[in-house]
Amino acid sequence: MISSLLRIIAIGRNTFTEAIRSKVLSVLLIFALVLVGCSVLVSQLATPGLDPAGLIDEQIKFVKDFGCGAIGLFGAAIGILATAQLIPQELHNRTIYTILSKPVRRSEFLLGKFFGIVLLLTLCVTLMTLAFAAALYWQEQQGVAYADSIYGQTKNWQADQGLLEHYNHDVAEIHAQVRDPRLVEAILLLFTKLIMTCGIALLISTFASSSIFTIVTTLMIYLIGHMEGTARTFWLSHGAETNLWQSCLVGFISLFIPDLNAFTIVDEILAGNNVPWHHTFDLIGYAVVYLVVLLSVAIVVFDYREI
Amino acid sequence: MTGLPRTFRLAMIVTGILLVWAPVKIVWEQRIAREQDLLRYHGVAMTRHLRDELGQGLTIGVLSGMRSVVADLVWLDVTNAWMNQEWFKMGGYINLCTALQPRSVTFWDIGGWQLAWNASVAAAEDPTQPYELRRLKASRFWIDKGLDIYTRGIENNPESWRLWADTGLLYYQRLALEELRRGQPQAAAEHFHDAAHYYEQAVLRPNCPTYLERFAAYMYDDAKDDQAAYQAWRSLWEKLTPEQRLMKIHFPDRIESRIRALEQKLSIPKEKRVFPN
Repeated sequence: MISSLLRIIAIGRNTFTEAIRSKVLSVLLIFALVLVGCSVLVSQLATPGLDPAGLIDEQIKFVKDFGCGAIGLFGAAIGILATAQLIPQELHNRTIYTILSKPVRRSEFLLGKFFGIVLLLTLCVTLMTLAFAAALYWQEQQGVAYADSIYGQTKNWQADQGLLEHYNHDVAEIHAQVRDPRLVEAILLLFTKLIMTCGIALLISTFASSSIFTIVTTLMIYLIGHMEGTARTFWLSHGAETNLWQSCLVGFISLFIPDLNAFTIVDEILAGNNVPWHHTFDLIGYAVVYLVVLLSVAIVVFDYREI
Repeated sequence: MTGLPRTFRLAMIVTGILLVWAPVKIVWEQRIAREQDLLRYHGVAMTRHLRDELGQGLTIGVLSGMRSVVADLVWLDVTNAWMNQEWFKMGGYINLCTALQPRSVTFWDIGGWQLAWNASVAAAEDPTQPYELRRLKASRFWIDKGLDIYTRGIENNPESWRLWADTGLLYYQRLALEELRRGQPQAAAEHFHDAAHYYEQAVLRPNCPTYLERFAAYMYDDAKDDQAAYQAWRSLWEKLTPEQRLMKIHFPDRIESRIRALEQKLSIPKEKRVFPN
């Protein structure tokens, strides 16, 4: 058991090292960091002429949305690209034959590869989150400075109790929005969704003949996954009323495609709404079980694959 | 199993795993969806109308799980439409943004302001319209649109103090004061009452700024409803702690002077007064 685990870790570490040496992934990561940082530029397009509370509220919303959007988009791109290359690259370089001729099970090989991708995504998401935090911090400083300048236009405003009360509330709101602990919840859910997407890509790559096929198919499933909820509701409520083909198609989507739209709850967190932690853990639990199923099927398919 | 062809065996195992998982998956997802419905998350479902409004590129964005980014991009068009004074276009974009993210208070808050203040004032001062009555009608049209945005915003975010306070401000600034300006004190009083109601509701919401507590009392004062104003000022006084009264926090002097004046005006018996002397 322990030796098996050590082999998985060794393969994972090796996969991780290879991935961070990849130029494509590094370029993507740099773009991601730049884009997350650029969210502060987008925030400058917020509605002019608003009071400090309204303007800063809008700017912080822009930074959060674009920052997390960039993390999700580039995280998915890095994850899918890296996962899609795993097996085809090993086959192309013929290194898979060397590895599998050693006392390494195919399941260990596959799990090790997936572990490497998880490490890679952890690193990427951590770096992007740091850039996101820096952008938010910058926006917070800008917000406080703007509030200071607006209130400062009134002479001796700090002596006016009403204005002071107003100012304190505005600044407290800025701090509350930027230092919102729920952002951790949002990043965690984004990360879970990325790992789940990589699980799908890994499963496809076990029977795919090329990386392109894996990338395209994963992207399609990613898109369909966001509509799975609609398909499921339709299937459960109108399944009997539709024709056989429609019913089969919608049923297939409902039964086998993951509900990725459930993870867009991140938007609610970014909008400042309270998402209970038990709900977040429920989603993470769903993703973990789904991942176990995906990896189980991937292992079975890979075991049967002729290499 | 061993006698079966290799691919058939593989298909059997994979199908077995998926068939065990599928019902669990459906039940689990339904439970998550129900919980999210109860928590009132997610905007409207993607419909043909919404797709036409968004265009192909933004629709793909929504389908990729980037609903908030798409809503922000549409929001930039709201600002552009405002700059170009294209009010109907702006109203459409505001509706689109709020449909995409009904739980984002920012869109309701600023959207209502754009319509009830900016669009309405522009209509009231429209130099191309020579008839004052028509200008007033157009102005009122945009105020109603702004009020509609706030009302729907409150329906979607009942716990947001900001939208209740915005609605109170709209009744006060855009309706009550306008009626007063037109010499309609009766209609103005009704709007002052409405404003007071919304401020009272705002105060009940979490994180509401303390200064809003006084606004309802001011509105009752403006409505000339002395009895309601007295009750409002009195409850404000009772809420103040001895330290706040001593340190003059939350305007105890102003509250005291209003209570004294109203007790005098309403001829409250001395034993029932807050300030008998």
